[in-house]
Amino acid sequence: MKQLMRLGVVGLTGLVMATALAGCAGKEDAAKTIQVTRNIGGREGFRRHFEAWKAQFEKTNPGWKMELIDLGNAEGEQFYKSRIATGDLPEVIMAWQLTNFLADGGHLVPLADEFYEKFGLPLPPPYKGKRYTSQSGVQIQGIAVNKRMWADAGVTTPPATWDDFIAALHKIKAKGHSPLVYGGREWSAHMPLFYAIATTLYDLQPDPAKPSWTKLKDAGKVSFATDPTARKVLGRMIEFLDSFVAKGALSDGYNEEQRDFYGGKGATWMMGCWIGGDIEPNKVDFEIEYWPVPSMTGRPPKFIYTSGFQNGWAITTTAKGEKLEKARAVLEAFYDPGVYQQFLNGESQFKEAQKVPVAGPTSAWLPAQKLYDSMATNLEKYGTTVGFHIGLDDMPPPSFTMTMARVMQEILSGNRDVDRLLKMMDDDWASARKGM
Amino acid sequence: MTSVPEAGLQPEHRRAKRVAAVREGLASLVLCGPAVLVYVGFIVLPAILGFAYSLTDWTGWTRWPNYVGLANFRELFHDTRFLAAIRFTLFETMLLVLFFTVGAMILAVLLDRLRRLKGLIRALFFYPYILSILVSALLFQYLANYREGALNTMLRALGLGAAAQDWMGDPALVPYFIFALVAWSGLGFFSTLYLAGLQTVPNELYEAAAIDGAGPLSVFVRIQFPMLIPVITTASVLALITGVNLFSQIVVTTQGGPGYRTFTVGYYIYWLGVLNNRQGYASAVSFVTFAALVGVAALQVALLRRKAVQL
Repeated sequence: MKQLMRLGVVGLTGLVMATALAGCAGKEDAAKTIQVTRNIGGREGFRRHFEAWKAQFEKTNPGWKMELIDLGNAEGEQFYKSRIATGDLPEVIMAWQLTNFLADGGHLVPLADEFYEKFGLPLPPPYKGKRYTSQSGVQIQGIAVNKRMWADAGVTTPPATWDDFIAALHKIKAKGHSPLVYGGREWSAHMPLFYAIATTLYDLQPDPAKPSWTKLKDAGKVSFATDPTARKVLGRMIEFLDSFVAKGALSDGYNEEQRDFYGGKGATWMMGCWIGGDIEPNKVDFEIEYWPVPSMTGRPPKFIYTSGFQNGWAITTTAKGEKLEKARAVLEAFYDPGVYQQFLNGESQFKEAQKVPVAGPTSAWLPAQKLYDSMATNLEKYGTTVGFHIGLDDMPPPSFTMTMARVMQEILSGNRDVDRLLKMMDDDWASARKGM
Repeated sequence: MTSVPEAGLQPEHRRAKRVAAVREGLASLVLCGPAVLVYVGFIVLPAILGFAYSLTDWTGWTRWPNYVGLANFRELFHDTRFLAAIRFTLFETMLLVLFFTVGAMILAVLLDRLRRLKGLIRALFFYPYILSILVSALLFQYLANYREGALNTMLRALGLGAAAQDWMGDPALVPYFIFALVAWSGLGFFSTLYLAGLQTVPNELYEAAAIDGAGPLSVFVRIQFPMLIPVITTASVLALITGVNLFSQIVVTTQGGPGYRTFTVGYYIYWLGVLNNRQGYASAVSFVTFAALVGVAALQVALLRRKAVQL
């Protein structure tokens, strides 16, 4: 018995000492380290940017380190929640669609207007009177097309209307090409529905004096189930998926879409501008153009601009005490010209920081450069709409992206009950709002 | 053992007895204390906190939740998606309970009769169980992929391309895909339970049956099955728990899809709490599910215990 007790005491003492030592180890390092979250995964362009950013920060802040927390393809939600629970959120974090949650929880430190002015960044719409996120670049969402396949069907300019778009896809199909790459398994399934909702239910240029569709919906004045335009959108989605999406699409996700499109196996990809950053690493050797989203209601076609408010690709700080100054230095190092250029190249975004002496994204790989040129030209020609990304307090619930993806999955699964599909969107919206 | 009245003991004996009792108490504390602490810290406390959160509208982003009383429980009774999740979970659970009680038992009886390569064949059946759920689920996801999955590749190679299916995407097939995944993973474990049960059947019973000229079916019906009823009780409760707790397999493979077709109760709780930031409501769903599961399991055990054979 005595031996057992001794063993227990020795074991417990050892455990306590080991824990204490483990706690001490690296404590000094941690005090001089700024942790930064980023979604790099296997994307080479993103990695290059982070390495340049880290080198710039560590060069200008001797003795300090910048440590990467790579969240891969995840969007941080679960990671941030667990770090909130343990009280150690990283000092600099990507915000994605979580800014309002983080701000409401009191985890973010606001940025002064001088920060934006220093780099020539437009002031994002404030959230409850404050600005938290450092805006990156102009991120647009539109339609990537395989120029050769579309030309083969006789279409060389962006279709203005949804009818023109559908007619063109039929022509491409008739020529023996696969008209569309589309995977229904994950988030990317929502893209066509997102494009349609953002460009039809919302004003192309929001009028501050007029409540948006989001505001009207939250006030109970409109709903998907009762809005004839929403019904029309759903009808068009059913027609679209029935006509151009082959059996088995529910097995495919973003990676399969990318592989098909870059492999020259599909003529059209409804995907955000970030795809440009993957052209060179994937050695895509044909010409791709980037076109605006055609209208379902006779409006002019537009790109959807998704980085203008305090969400999406935006970074922010949670640092307190003496680390706050260094966390701000990390945010500032982002706009070093060399670092910022790498960012624009990796993400295929356009310049937002007007005082930073860089142009748009560039690449030595000709097809990538041609795509950037196409994006820049068409961005200038057709312009953008913010769609439903109006402000942190004026947008659908963040989980609405997945709601749209699920509705598209339902259609792919054979659900043709438009009333039920619209109700799903209303129900999800209402449920998600209760979590905000 | 006879007890000696305390008053009849010598003082030194009484002291020795007290010291022994203290030592025993200390030893119990040292030996059981850590386990009790861990159990209380990681099971009991979270369960109590879970109930407390169910009375709030906590989003998971703030430090302190707001008390909302029984509002979450009231909402629960009108929640059609919760009902749909219950229906799907019950369907999967029914298939699993049936398979893990009947199928695994038949397999165990057959494995018990093996004369050659007994160990190897049993190990092969047990092997999927030692794989993590994540690995099994990813493996099935690969098998079921429409374009490149092994199943469809095989069908196409055999000239049966028309029979190729979107096993995970077709709403008519996906419930059976989930069932197949869980059944494949768990079959080895459940058949091992039955095999262990079969080893407890006294040889004399088999010898007597042989003398009476009983065939294999008769031996199973009259000897093995009645003797296995306690194992059936355990297996059915475990299968019920496996079915009701279906979650990881869903997260890795279908993520509740296509659409909302494979929302189990577990996935619905995750969807509410993590993806929709409704930790309070998710806790209410968890609590109700937990209470229902305890009730069903207790009923199941009570019913099956009555049928158990006492030797």
